[in-house]
Parts: sequence; C-alpha cells; structure tokens
Amino acid sequence: MTKPKVASDWLCGCAGCHMSFLDIDERILQLVELVDLRATPITDLKEPDEDGVVVGILEGGIANTHNEHVAIRMRERCKILVALGDCAVFGGVPAMRNFFGEEAALKRAYIDAESNDSEVIIPTNPELAEMTRVRAVNEVVKVDLHIPGCPPHADVIFYALAELAQGRIPEIKDDKLHWH
Amino acid sequence: MIKLTIDGKTVEVQEGTTVLQAAEEAGLYIPTLCNHPQVKPYGGCRLCMVDIEGARTLQPSCTLPATDGMVVHTATEKVLNARKFVLTLIFSERNHFCMYCPVSDGDCELQNRAYDENMTHWDLQPNWQPFEVDASHDFIILDNNRCILCRRCTRACDELVGNFTLGFEERGAESLLVADYNVPLGESSCISCGTCGQICPTGSLIDRQSAYQGKETEVEQNIGVCIECSVGCQRNVLTRDNRLVRLEGDWDADLNHGLLCDKGRFLPLEDDRSRLMTPLVRKDGQLKAATWEQALEAIASKLNNGKGLAALASTRLPAEDLVLFKSIFSDGLDAELVTSLEEGKATASLASLAEKIGKPFEASLEVLKDTDAVLVIELDLVDEHQVPGFFIKRQIPHGTQMIVADNQTNKLAARAKVRLDLNAGEEGKFFESLLQAIDKETEDENLNQAVKILKLANNPCIVYGKTLAENADAKTLQTMLDIGQKLDAALIGVKGEANSMAAAQLGLEASFETNGYEAAFIALGDDKPSQKLVKRLEEIPFVVVQAAYMSQLTGNADVVLPVTMWAEQPGSYLSLDGRLQTIGKALDAPEGIITNYESLLKIADVLSIEPDTDWQTTLSKRVPTAQIQEG
Repeated sequence: MTKPKVASDWLCGCAGCHMSFLDIDERILQLVELVDLRATPITDLKEPDEDGVVVGILEGGIANTHNEHVAIRMRERCKILVALGDCAVFGGVPAMRNFFGEEAALKRAYIDAESNDSEVIIPTNPELAEMTRVRAVNEVVKVDLHIPGCPPHADVIFYALAELAQGRIPEIKDDKLHWH
Repeated sequence: MIKLTIDGKTVEVQEGTTVLQAAEEAGLYIPTLCNHPQVKPYGGCRLCMVDIEGARTLQPSCTLPATDGMVVHTATEKVLNARKFVLTLIFSERNHFCMYCPVSDGDCELQNRAYDENMTHWDLQPNWQPFEVDASHDFIILDNNRCILCRRCTRACDELVGNFTLGFEERGAESLLVADYNVPLGESSCISCGTCGQICPTGSLIDRQSAYQGKETEVEQNIGVCIECSVGCQRNVLTRDNRLVRLEGDWDADLNHGLLCDKGRFLPLEDDRSRLMTPLVRKDGQLKAATWEQALEAIASKLNNGKGLAALASTRLPAEDLVLFKSIFSDGLDAELVTSLEEGKATASLASLAEKIGKPFEASLEVLKDTDAVLVIELDLVDEHQVPGFFIKRQIPHGTQMIVADNQTNKLAARAKVRLDLNAGEEGKFFESLLQAIDKETEDENLNQAVKILKLANNPCIVYGKTLAENADAKTLQTMLDIGQKLDAALIGVKGEANSMAAAQLGLEASFETNGYEAAFIALGDDKPSQKLVKRLEEIPFVVVQAAYMSQLTGNADVVLPVTMWAEQPGSYLSLDGRLQTIGKALDAPEGIITNYESLLKIADVLSIEPDTDWQTTLSKRVPTAQIQEG
C-alpha cells in the first residue's frame, strides 16, 4: 500500500502551528510510517506535488495576493484541505488590522513606527504581493477540516493527521476542541 | 395541568409554563443565551429553538407557552443545524475574539454554547466594524464589540433594579447598547449596582476590579451576607489565593435574588486602608509594637472595674461578638456606659415601642416586592439601603405609587407620585395631620391625594428611616402605628448598620456623652471611626481600640488590638426585618491576627470574666421590632 502524501504551507501566520506540529516529538516517527510527508515549510521540497497530494494543510490567514495564490494552489493539488490554527480558521490576530485597513497598517509599520529613521518609505516594488483584507482560508477556498487553536495542541495535530493517514475524517470535538 | 411530550418524555406542567421551563422540569437541556431565570423571557437570541410537531417553523422555547398535547423535539438535525447557524450569526454580527483569549475560557456563555455544539469554525467573518469601548465608568466597562444584543442587561436594569439606565439605540445589526440617551456610562444615571455586569453572558459589560483576575474555575466561592447595611443581601464572595476577586449577588437568594448595590458590590474592594499587623501599646507617649500578652496586661491594669469606663462596639460586628462584648463590659465589669457606635439612634425608639405593645410590629422586606402604594418617610433609598429601593422603583411603571415625605434633598422623591414636605423635628405634627386626613379630607390637597392612594391600595406599605427613629417620640410612633393599622399598611424600619437590630436586641443604645470617663474600650472591627468619635475620645485618658485598620482613632489610642476584617471572620447578622443569617469566613487572616470574637475572649480571660456565649438566647430576650427568624 502506498502511503498517502501530505503537504503543508504557511500563509499569514506566525509559524506557531508548525512548531506545535513539531511538538508531537518522537511521534513524528510513527507518523512518517503512515504518511509520505512532502512539501512543507520545514522540509526541502517547497511546493506541493503537481500530481497532487491527499492531505494539504494550511497555517495562517489570507492577507495578500500571494497568500491567495498559495491557498488556491494547495486547494487544486490536494484532496482534503485542512485549515490549521486560528489564523487559518478565523483570520487570527493579523485580522485585527481589518479594523484599520491596509493603508493605515502600512503607514503604522513603515512610517509611524518609533524605530523608523527619517528616510522612510512604504515599499512599492511591483513584485511584492498586494495586501488585502485578512481572511480565514474558507473565505477564499473550500476547507474540508478546521482545526482551531492558537496553536492547536500537538496531541490534536497528531490525532488529526493519524486519522487522516488511515483514511478517516477526524472529529475535532469535546476535549480536542479549543479555540486558543 | 398541561400534558406535553418532549423528546418522547411525557411532562406535566402548570398552565403558563414555557416549553423551556417544561423541558427543565423534565431534566432536559435546551441551550439558551438571552434567557435568564431572573428576567422575563425575551426570545432574542433564538438559540433555544425547538421543533414542534405541526408547527411550520422552529419555535423559541423560552417564550413559547406549553400547550396540551404538544409534541416537542429538542435535538433533531434541523434544530442542531439551526443552533449552529444562530451561533454563526451571533459571532459574525460583532467582533468576538474570545478564541485567541485563554482568560475567557469557560467564563463566556457564548463561547461555552459554541463549544457545546462542537463548532470548529463559522462560515461568516466577524463584523470588522469597530465599536467604541466605553471605559468612562469607575467600575464597569461597556464594550459593544462583544455584545450579542440579548438585552439581559437592559432587562435587569429595568425589571430588577428599576433604574432604566441601559437601553438600545438603532435597530438590527446597528443596535447599540447605550446609557440614557447615549451618554458615557460614567456620566449617566447609572447607580453602579453592577447587576448588568453580573448578568451579561459575554464580556460586553465587565467590571474593572475583577476582569481577567481569575476564571470561574480558578476562584473559590463563599456565599455569605453583605454587611454594608442592615438589609442583609446574600452575597457571593469570590476569592483566589486568599485575595478578594469579586463580590456578586447570589441569584438564588430569596430576598435580593442576585441584586447588590455599589456599596455591597464594588466599594469593599476599593478599601485601601492599612492593616494593623501587631498589637500596639503606648509607652512614654509613643505607640509601640507589643505582644498580645503585653497588650492584655495593659488592658487588665486599667480596665479592671466599670467605674468611669465607657465601652462601645461597632454594629458591623457579628451578633456573637456583640453578645460577648455586652457580657464582658455590662455584666462582667458593670461599666458606666455600654453601647454601640450607633448609640441606638436608628433603633432605640422603635425597640421601646415593640416592648410597650409587647409584640413585633414591623413586616418583612418581601412585602415591598408587591406593594402597590408605598409611603417612604425620611429615607432616601437612592443613597442608602438601596436594594429595597430597587424593589419599589422597579414597580413604578407597573402602577405602584410612591409617596415620599422628606425634606427637599431626597433623591428618591424624583420618582414619587406625591411629595410631602417633612423636616426633621416635625414628625409629630406630620403624623397627626396624616391621621386626621385619613378620617376626614383636609385643606392640604397633597396630603389628601397621598391618603387616597394609600386607602385604595391592596398592599400599602410605610417605610421609614433613621431620622424618624431618632426624632420621633413615643407618642409620634404610636400615631404611626395607628395609621398603619387604619390603612392596613405594613411597616418597615430600615435601621442602620448590618447589626443595628442585634444591638437593639441587646439594649446597646445609650448615647455617648463624654463627661469624665477615665477609660474607654472601642470594639471597632473594620468600621470607619467618625471624626466625632475621634474627637470625643481625645478627652479620655486611657483608650483601648480593637480594630482591623489603622486610623486616627488607633493612632490616638493607648492600646490597639489587631483583629480581622469582615471577610476573615464568621458570624451572624440580624437584618432590619429580623432575618438571622450566618456568614462563614472567606479569607484567612494575616499571620498573628485573631477575630474580634477571639480578642474579646482573651480580654474576658485576662479580666477573669465568665463570658456569655449563648448568644442566640440572649439575642431574643427582648421583644423585637420585627419577628426574628432564621434566614
């Protein structure tokens, strides 16, 4: 039996959910017996396989056009899309900038911040992704499984991945359900 | 009786029962948010929707009356989906960020309900329209971002407190919780009773003192009695790591059913007086730290006989302590003066009336909850004894008519139907003319109208304050009693501090005139000494003060005994209407600090006095103004 392929990526998040994933510690050895861990921010392969993976995992909300692109690509290349953590599920802390708007957020960071010197500019390189309102992943692409938490507990991540690897849809409820 | 079926279970209920109440009676759980047992059902949040066979749509169970033969399903797929949808709409209507906040865990009813439904996410984004946070109030923060428009707070403010401060502006998603005509809460008509914060299911109304200081699972709860006045509201003292976190009204309390006033809820936590941590004895003109043995020795050498001795006790002390105090200084030492710090002003005349007629003449505070006409005499229930004031104020829109007889400064009078002028000292004349007006119309139209209201009422009530008790002579009070009988009106005297009535039962009501006392003992407890008391005691050569906090009084004293404050000592309190209630201790006293009771026992011991510990018997020896009952 071939092992199901799993890929992950991060969007507008803090990497904390991937750190929590690493907190499964030695259980990662059990996991790699069950799954083929492909492209992730913490492996060498950086893009999910073009011929597709079974499980795609996204951490972080969608805050710019690049995030949109990555989310759409992951959706296209995976069968089951998992939103991991509060930013992917709800928008998270970065979404608080929605109260002020992108322009005000840029101004605060690049012009008004106390640590800036006098020659401050807001970067405008056309290669830079364009900022958008911060959104939960399911506002942009269809999500099959939501695992909230800031970050989700390593035990919950391990449980979810182990279930998915064995062809079952994990039930995130009761003591496994925590938003923070 | 009505018979209905809920989830296959046959339930029999009284007519007028809602489906939600019927389900609760049958032990079935239906989740709710806007519903609260103490306020009228509102049907605002739609979380409690149920499937009724034959009904076109789901129905809110909190407002739906149960009918005979009704078949209810509380957990069909349709219902469960509707619940999730309702919660999704509530979450998306405002800005709820409890998911990133561990301190809310378990304390937010909205979050709890969503967890109950196993919601991992919702499909609609938050509102992202920021609402202003109103932090203008001393004790309460109003945050519309977290409001779910359930209107528990406005219903509590109207239906329970009768203050009508909170309300809603605009409609639908624009609805805004506001104070008065949208003024900052701190500048509004709010009286800081805090009921809105206690009833809020989310963090829309939080109190500054305790927010984020401990989740419900992390605090200890101690149901006790508020001792800030003589009403005796039941109060929950929440502590964490031996520190006061919050004071809450007990929703299950018979009398106050969750209500407190600012004095009972917020002000005790503002107390920043310095504690006395050791006994002090004056030596060579200086107050110096001493051991208990040294302090008691100093007391024994000066307080060994009653001649020239004045002993005064605070009426904030438990009844047990007051009985012990009296037995030491009155029975043991035969001191020249043994009284309370209130000197019986709020009670003495009433107590002697009860003795004269040989039976209690005052009613329970419960009667105020459904009085339809109330005469309030020389008492401002906006400033003091506020909770009974809530009982009256909240009924005014439902037809209860209030007559206030007082001078011009009475704030309660703004809500009065009739206002009668009564200046201190004119009580006799006032009751005489009131009595005459009952028999025959007078020239005073106001008085005639007041009498007419009281005569037509089914449950008239007369409530009076300390000023009346202090100024009225026996004849005047007898006239008041006659008026009460003629009108078939209940009489309620609010008295003074928490144990005013207990002090009255013990006859601790002599007035304190300083004429040549040689020594004084003041059982102050955690009371605040008045300037007048400090002044009077300056003339007395040897003063012993038993107190929890440093004050000018302890600074001037010759011996100071450090004792517990209210939360650190158990004890019993006799409310103004005779409910005898007991409090346990909620906090451990600091190292080396003993209770007022233990301190008095030490004094009895050093003076070789056999103390009276049968306080309950002693307390009920005198005819009380209101029937004493365990409450």
